Amino acid sequence: MAENRGTGIPPIPGEPEPEGERPPAVRVRGLWKTFGEQVAVSGIDLDLPTGRFVGLVGPNGAGKTTTLSMVTGLLRPDSGTVEVVGRDVWRDPVDVKARIGVLPEGLRLFERLSGRELLTYMGRMRDLDPDELESRTEQLLDVLDLSGAQHKLVVDYSTGMRKKIGLAAALLHNPEVLFLDEPFEGVDPVSAQAIRGVLERYTDSGATVVFSSHVMELVESLCDWVAVLAAGRIRAHGPTAEVRGEAESLHHAFLELVGARGNPDGARLDWLGGAR
Amino acid sequence: MSATGLPPAPAPAPPTGRITGPSVAATTAVFVRLKLSLLRNGTRQSTGRSAAFVGSTVLAALVGALGLLGLVALRGDEYGPDTGVVLVAMLALGWAFLPLFVGVDETLDPGRLAMLPLRPSPLLVAQLASGLVGSGPLFTLLLVVGAVLVAAHGVAAALVAVVAAPLVLVFCVTLTRALATANARLLTSRRGRDLAVLSGLLVAFGLQGLNLALSRMADEDGGLAPMRPLADVLGWLPPASAVRAVRLADEGSAFGAVLALATTAGGLALLLWWWRRTLTTLLTAPDASSLQPPAGAGPDRGRHEGGLAGLLPTGRTGTVMLRVLRYAWRDPKAKMGWATSLGMAMLLPLVLTVQDGGSVYTACWAAGMLGLLMYNQFGGDYSGFWLVAATIGSPRDAFVELRARMLVICLLGLPLMVAVVLGTAALFDDWESLPTGLGLTLAMLGALLAVGAMTSAWLPYSIPQEGAMKNVAPGQSGLAWGSLLGGTLVGAVLVAPVGALALFLHGEPAGWLVVPVGAVWGAALCWGALRLAARRTADALPEILAAVSKG
Repeated sequence: MAENRGTGIPPIPGEPEPEGERPPAVRVRGLWKTFGEQVAVSGIDLDLPTGRFVGLVGPNGAGKTTTLSMVTGLLRPDSGTVEVVGRDVWRDPVDVKARIGVLPEGLRLFERLSGRELLTYMGRMRDLDPDELESRTEQLLDVLDLSGAQHKLVVDYSTGMRKKIGLAAALLHNPEVLFLDEPFEGVDPVSAQAIRGVLERYTDSGATVVFSSHVMELVESLCDWVAVLAAGRIRAHGPTAEVRGEAESLHHAFLELVGARGNPDGARLDWLGGAR
Repeated sequence: MSATGLPPAPAPAPPTGRITGPSVAATTAVFVRLKLSLLRNGTRQSTGRSAAFVGSTVLAALVGALGLLGLVALRGDEYGPDTGVVLVAMLALGWAFLPLFVGVDETLDPGRLAMLPLRPSPLLVAQLASGLVGSGPLFTLLLVVGAVLVAAHGVAAALVAVVAAPLVLVFCVTLTRALATANARLLTSRRGRDLAVLSGLLVAFGLQGLNLALSRMADEDGGLAPMRPLADVLGWLPPASAVRAVRLADEGSAFGAVLALATTAGGLALLLWWWRRTLTTLLTAPDASSLQPPAGAGPDRGRHEGGLAGLLPTGRTGTVMLRVLRYAWRDPKAKMGWATSLGMAMLLPLVLTVQDGGSVYTACWAAGMLGLLMYNQFGGDYSGFWLVAATIGSPRDAFVELRARMLVICLLGLPLMVAVVLGTAALFDDWESLPTGLGLTLAMLGALLAVGAMTSAWLPYSIPQEGAMKNVAPGQSGLAWGSLLGGTLVGAVLVAPVGALALFLHGEPAGWLVVPVGAVWGAALCWGALRLAARRTADALPEILAAVSKG
């Protein structure tokens, strides 16, 4: 699957687009958010297709985290509506919260619990059957290479381990849509591979993953659908191959979309590497 | 961060010769200038901060000058020199504990310097010099000058004093820097920071103890006589021995004076040697962050939860209770909150009764201290509150969440409170007031828990995780105090009916009625408050999350 994604070809060529049949996993209309003077998100309309690996990309400060926070009910928008699997996030929170998993960026976990205790806590809070919870916890810890550290307090975990235990907590209740904010930020390659493996297995089952990142290579190799966000607006969205278009890579397409150019002043550093 | 993982090998020698690094004078100048810039920039961030900085500097200078004058006024007092010795010992103690509370200033954080080509000796001198800059050293210098002046009458004593005063100051600064360097790993590690937070508790109770001890000493005859035995012991130890040297010189014991000075000088040399050694180790050896612990290491908490989990109710209630109990034990901030509230609940009625000879009703203080625990419930979760928010879909969920947190306070607090009421009744042999007192405290606990639940939902504020004394995020202290004071007033109003009943039935056989009335009244208030607070919590989850994530 991963190789297939790497080519950027839509998953089932020749067949009708799945989003034509199934309602979008996420439907956003007129989403606005300002913090004081600063406009973080200015009127986003977006439909994210069901069953895809969706990448939300953009430079730092583009509004990715703000958008994901509003979509997952952690931040109240100034205006606009958000529907996840056909349910309004702000009017029907019970139904939505049971169907989504979230891994936010910059928010803590209950770090004075051990990794295992944290999963047990979240599972019980979500009212999972105790035996089922036990078996899911065991499997998630195992697959994410956390079995050895399961009794360590999360506060003593490394960044990669935190992301993994956060991912486990987000997956525990088998959500329909998973939202991950920068899941690979500060994560070592070994942990990144573990996270990637779990996510690929999860989307293969028909579930939707929405994740934000500013690492284009990663997005290009993982995602079959991307939305480019810059300065609080959607600049482009669609299947990865479409967004990339004629460009050499998604990276180049992205730089063009957000209007970034190389810094010509770089040529002035002619002393670098010269005589010492 | 630090020299993690770098081999402790010396820098490779370039063909032109060995790099010796900047000279002592150059390094010292840079460090002193750096310290001055840090002081100046610290005042730049906000007017509040610069006001606080100027205020504290002026205050330090003023208090130091007053201390100096006070000590000079003691010249001729029989116990004056002893007071000087004890004061300097206290100052040294203060310097020893300083890094734990004030935090380490950047000029002595070795982690920031590890990548610079500095040799230990210039670094040592430079750090010492920059340590002598600031309001703390000024304050110390003023007091030390006072302490030596008390004893210095003759020329010989004055000569010794001229050596002793700077020696004491340098000793104090070296002590604090050496300890900070030795503890650098601890102070930057999680366990160290936890300890620092908990040390706030130590200081609070320690100050109380000191206060008691001092007032007892002064009680005896109001003079400084109790200083004598203390000075006799402390005068042998550096740096107080330098102050004792002045008195010895004044008494004509030249040998004794030199010996006492040498004790402090020797202590200083030992400290410098130790500091240099730890500094070298710190700059060259890898720290724990670059060492991989063996797989499976760490405490084994057991695969299954212990007896506690089995005893708690199932479902969300038990889950929340278990987490709150674990946090009360494992999270330093939560632990401090619990220890303060439970400890004060026990001590306050006792202290008050000892002081004014109160009654059973002083046990109401216990209810008050316990009630405080319910305030700002979500603030302690910090941004981890999103995990709670992600599982609250309805007011019912919020109700169960808040109720579980309240139940934990009752679980630990109720038995304690009843014990305190019984204890005060036994202390005064005032069994007559027991029923009304018990009923009133029950109602009071209920009222404060109710108000606490409401303020948790309506006036949440963030409790930053770091820093022993920082319990409110910047900009939210008005909110915190407002909710506390307003809540206490509202709580008092809510408990008034039961108070009136207790007053009416005090000492009557029907006084026992107040117990069930108080309990039911308190429980009813809690129930009502939980209903309202749950609705508000469920509606305002993003707002609460934003409020408790600040700082």
